[in-house]
Amino acid sequence: MKLELQKGSRSKVLAAILFGLMTIFVVRLFYLQVIQHGYYIDLANREQVKRLTIPAKRGQIYALSGSTPVPLVMNQDVYTVFADPTETTNDNEIISTIEKVAGGNARSNLQNLLDKKDSRYQILATKITLAQANMIKSKNYSGIGFQAGNQRVYPEGSLAAQILGFVNDDGIGQYGVEEKLNKQLTGENGLLQSVTDVNDIPLTIGNHNINKPAKDGVNEVLSIDPSVQSYTEQALANGLKRTGATRGSAVILDPQTGRILAMANLPTFDPSKITDVQNNAVFNNGVVSAPYEPGSDMKTLTMATGIDKGVVDANSTYNNTDHIQIDDVTISNASLGQTGTITLQHAMNWSLNTGFVTVAMRLGDGTSINRQARDTMYDYFHNKFHLGSLTGVEVSGEIAGTVIPPTDVQGNAVRYSNMAFGQGMDVTMIQVASAFCSIVNGGNYYKPTVLAGSVDKNGNYNANQITTPTHPIKLSTAYQVREMTHIARTTNFPGVDKPGYYVGGKTGTSQVVKGGVYASDETIGTYLGYGGTESTSRYVIMVQVSGDHKELAGNYDAMPIFTDISNWMLGYLNIQPKG
Amino acid sequence: MPRLRAGHTYKTNINENTTTMSYQYTQTFNNRRQQNWSRNQNTVAYVSNIKLGPVAHTVIVALMITVLGLVYLTQATRATSYDYKTQQIDSQIAALNTQKNDLQVENARLTALETVKNSSVASTMTTPASTQYANQQ
Repeated sequence: MKLELQKGSRSKVLAAILFGLMTIFVVRLFYLQVIQHGYYIDLANREQVKRLTIPAKRGQIYALSGSTPVPLVMNQDVYTVFADPTETTNDNEIISTIEKVAGGNARSNLQNLLDKKDSRYQILATKITLAQANMIKSKNYSGIGFQAGNQRVYPEGSLAAQILGFVNDDGIGQYGVEEKLNKQLTGENGLLQSVTDVNDIPLTIGNHNINKPAKDGVNEVLSIDPSVQSYTEQALANGLKRTGATRGSAVILDPQTGRILAMANLPTFDPSKITDVQNNAVFNNGVVSAPYEPGSDMKTLTMATGIDKGVVDANSTYNNTDHIQIDDVTISNASLGQTGTITLQHAMNWSLNTGFVTVAMRLGDGTSINRQARDTMYDYFHNKFHLGSLTGVEVSGEIAGTVIPPTDVQGNAVRYSNMAFGQGMDVTMIQVASAFCSIVNGGNYYKPTVLAGSVDKNGNYNANQITTPTHPIKLSTAYQVREMTHIARTTNFPGVDKPGYYVGGKTGTSQVVKGGVYASDETIGTYLGYGGTESTSRYVIMVQVSGDHKELAGNYDAMPIFTDISNWMLGYLNIQPKG
Repeated sequence: MPRLRAGHTYKTNINENTTTMSYQYTQTFNNRRQQNWSRNQNTVAYVSNIKLGPVAHTVIVALMITVLGLVYLTQATRATSYDYKTQQIDSQIAALNTQKNDLQVENARLTALETVKNSSVASTMTTPASTQYANQQ
């Protein structure tokens, strides 16, 4: 029997309705699945696919004790303990546990914090370690949570604070090595893109997964010797206490490599407590960022210029009248009375300005500091000894200073007569000390550096190669000036050095420009010297002390600090004295 | 139907009134055989007496798809379970690394100059009255 739907029957109408509905469904599904395909795929990916940043570890910073890296800056995972006071029960036990486990990292008023029942977030303790967090977690208190974080820690406290700098809340290095080498220390974050479950656990399913590992920052090893740095900071602090100076800086270099062994500044700060710092000036590293008129320390470089050009030597003589006329300016000695025909060695011993103005004149026609003399001085001071230009040392905030060229209208004879004894120019301690190294080491100029190498991910130390030096002066020139400073020291300060060693140096007492004129009540005292054996100098030390409205002298105030550090260095470096 | 034997071909004549058949060799079949069949391959096709209808076919296909789906789901679930294990192991590694790092920090603090200077051993040390080098006369 053949079944047929009759025209206009209810079944036929139902079939038509069903067909119509199915058509709507098909059209709708076609629209959703084909036309809107991309939109819904994106929507699903946004919900299911997570892009997680894999944070790169910031590189650690080490000092170098002998050939062993010693950590100065490390990273540590830390946790913040917080409470939801509306959820917590047994508050007394919570307070007892947190005070016992977190110690000084617990907030002082825990009871008050937990009593704030109108709040849902109260911090109870900060910067606790994983072990401490686990101890609190094991108690299973309700309403207690943990937030993970990371912080820089400083095992050596405030040691070398201005060299290191610190990292701000955004993870960016500020001041010191942290700022200068921020890019290398930061590394590169990785990326994990993956389908995740409801707990954000990455799953391997999915076609667009990305797993780019993080590239950790470089673990930098500084040339700073922690023992030398520590002793230098202590000696400087003692010196400031003794002299009444309010600011002090010291730098110690290895003259055979240009590596900086210590660089200290007072007052200083604790990089783990930067919020306690009242005056941001303490963050500055005065050795590289505070140009000043170097004073008589410069006489060593003026002498080196004269000897290297062959116009003078230590035994050259001149008639000292304690005053010398340059154009319309009369230049006088600070120490009066050494008049008559004297040698330049004598002028060095007594730090007589007239002697070194004479050297400057002999670089020209012998009677004036003419253009030839000024060109020569500028060539040595600026181009060869790199005064008034950035040294490139790897700490932030270095300032070039100013050495006015003879081509400038201010680069006249009076200016250059002042420069001969260290006034009329702005330079930094690191520039002067690095230039002086070339006198001490036989005529080689090494770019000063605080970097000694790096530590790889396996903990192996890889030393950097020593940079190739330039040669600003001849070997014979270097020997002569070194000997002159040795004589100057032993003449003026006999018996202060350990016997059997070859130590030399030069005092510097420089005027300070305030408001465009030299202040009458303030001077900066410096001492620049070296130590070691006659054959090899092992260190160069430069010390500077200063203070507002304080007249500080190189010989009385800075020199004893040098002597303290120098005598300690001779023992620390195990240098054997001469028979 | 007579069975066809390899190497032989037959031709069927069907009269209108009778159904007698006669067979004879044809050259045509040989050529096709050479073209389409390779040596030692079976040239006989067997047809089963069991016939499957369209419903049965649909059910079988649906079952096969279901089985394949189950296989896929099994494998995908297994991979996902490995992800959870991996995640657990990664978490353990991270926790152990954190512990190791904490110990390194503690070690650095305990061996720091300031700690050593303030130690009980250091406080009892004295400066020697005089020192000499071994090879000095």
